[in-house]
Amino acid sequence: MIHLRDVSYVRLGTRDLEGATRYATAILGLEVAERGHGAAYFKSDQREHTLCYFEGDPADQVVAFEVDTRAELDAAGAELERLGHPVHRGTAGEAQQRKVRDFIGFRDPTGNRIELVWRPQMSARRYHGTRDAGITGFSHVGLCTTDAARDEAFWTSVCNARVSDRIGDAPLLRIDEVHHKIALFPTTRAGIQHINHQVASADDVQRSLHHLRGHGIPVVFGPGRHPTSGARFLYFEGPDGMVYEYSSGVSSIADELLYRERQFEFAPPGFCMWGAEPQIREFRK
Amino acid sequence: MSIVIEQLRYVVLGTRDLEAAARFAGAELGLQALPPGTGEQAFRSDERQYSLVYSSAAPRRHAVGLELRDEAALLAALQALQARGIAAARDATLAARRNVRALAAFTTPGGLCLELVVRPQNQGWRFFPARDSGVAGLAALALRSTDVAADEALLVDLFGLQVRDWIGDAAYLGMDAAHHRLALFPAAAAGVLAVEFEVQGLDQVMQQYHRLRALPQAVAHGPGRRPVSGQAFVTFAGPDAVYYSFVAEGERIDAASARRPRQFAMRADAHCAWGSDCAIAELVAGAAVQRPSLRGVPSA
Repeated sequence: MIHLRDVSYVRLGTRDLEGATRYATAILGLEVAERGHGAAYFKSDQREHTLCYFEGDPADQVVAFEVDTRAELDAAGAELERLGHPVHRGTAGEAQQRKVRDFIGFRDPTGNRIELVWRPQMSARRYHGTRDAGITGFSHVGLCTTDAARDEAFWTSVCNARVSDRIGDAPLLRIDEVHHKIALFPTTRAGIQHINHQVASADDVQRSLHHLRGHGIPVVFGPGRHPTSGARFLYFEGPDGMVYEYSSGVSSIADELLYRERQFEFAPPGFCMWGAEPQIREFRK
Repeated sequence: MSIVIEQLRYVVLGTRDLEAAARFAGAELGLQALPPGTGEQAFRSDERQYSLVYSSAAPRRHAVGLELRDEAALLAALQALQARGIAAARDATLAARRNVRALAAFTTPGGLCLELVVRPQNQGWRFFPARDSGVAGLAALALRSTDVAADEALLVDLFGLQVRDWIGDAAYLGMDAAHHRLALFPAAAAGVLAVEFEVQGLDQVMQQYHRLRALPQAVAHGPGRRPVSGQAFVTFAGPDAVYYSFVAEGERIDAASARRPRQFAMRADAHCAWGSDCAIAELVAGAAVQRPSLRGVPSA
């Protein structure tokens, strides 16, 4: 069993690094941690970086998860190879690019690029946003799946993920107490479906709505509240068609033994208890 | 009718170079700039619409905004000042410029320009610092006065301030749970000696010290701890011969407690319990306290 400790960072290729950087700072509110060598690193919390845009193909998207020890990293590599997932052992240079001590890369059954990292770098300096978005940190990703049942089995039996709730066939998966750190949405492609940052309060969600509208950013879902996690949310478009989310008030599941996952309908009420209609392809039938 | 000053509200500082002063407030203090005014630039440090204003009108003019509860308190203050032979009048133009309902300005016997204001404006959106300096609000002003005894008597007898402690002849005056909001230091000319901002904690005080360490002239006093107020502090030089302090962890004074002001000696150990060097003349015993000279501005 691969024990995922936390979601660590997202790496996204882009043809317009300048534009993506402008978006990540002025719109999203992240802080530039480092720029150069064809990449820009962004801070959203106490970690050195949680998002990296690099010059490349926008289809080149990676999400990383932290594991505790190098022995676990080695064991994970062997287990994945045994299951037929080719594993790439990160070189020293690649590890440096990712600000981690060591990592491996592989693809999940849908073909999503996943990295397992050991000792990702923390920052001594706290996060101070470019604008007052109230961001408290990078929290979860939505991943595309071409077979939800198969991928749910991969994340829950090969890795330590547990199902917190399902919306239709789409499982929301936790790897710690937070309701979900990974969500799988059925579609026909591989890639990252959305990227979530937590904000401090529902006021921050609402205030960002007006900020985004004022800058002509398409809001694709919300403001609303998820009946699954209880979080207030707002989804909006980013560079290269990526969907970003702000949310606040996600529930935590403290008692693993007492908690039982629930089934919600794959329709607007399953996604929003306030009645918002998603304009996101993977959230619609 | 009691005339009680409820809050130290703002400070207006004359400057020779508005742009340089504004750059300092953003980059060094981390304050949030308001839209520029004519010959003025205001900054936020907390829930107030502004707490610091730089003005290019008169480089030596410093003014302190003090809040009174209502019109009745303002009228009572005007009468009481006139009874003491101090000229004071309402100024509607200045009230509009400061964005308050009513304002009366006067000069104390020691030469300080005070502006009494009613209903100054707060801002609904929270303060967002220009950089992560950890500023939590305007805490206090250290003032140069040519007649500390007369100014102390006026502020205590007429406006209900309390002497919290003395260091030599310097008086620390409080109006709420903070140890002091105004401190009066004997000097040859009146004005603002230092503007003090509360920061979130000792981390921010020390971060500011290390930020400034590369500039040998910048840190004027500290980092240290003030024995009188218990505040950790660092004081550094700003534009136009005004000092700025970041303070944290100060003593909170319970209104119900029977607290008596204490007298300390005008000595280095009364200003800093850690033994830091002090380059501020007003805080050094026996130093010849001159009016700060501003290049290009006549000293008269």
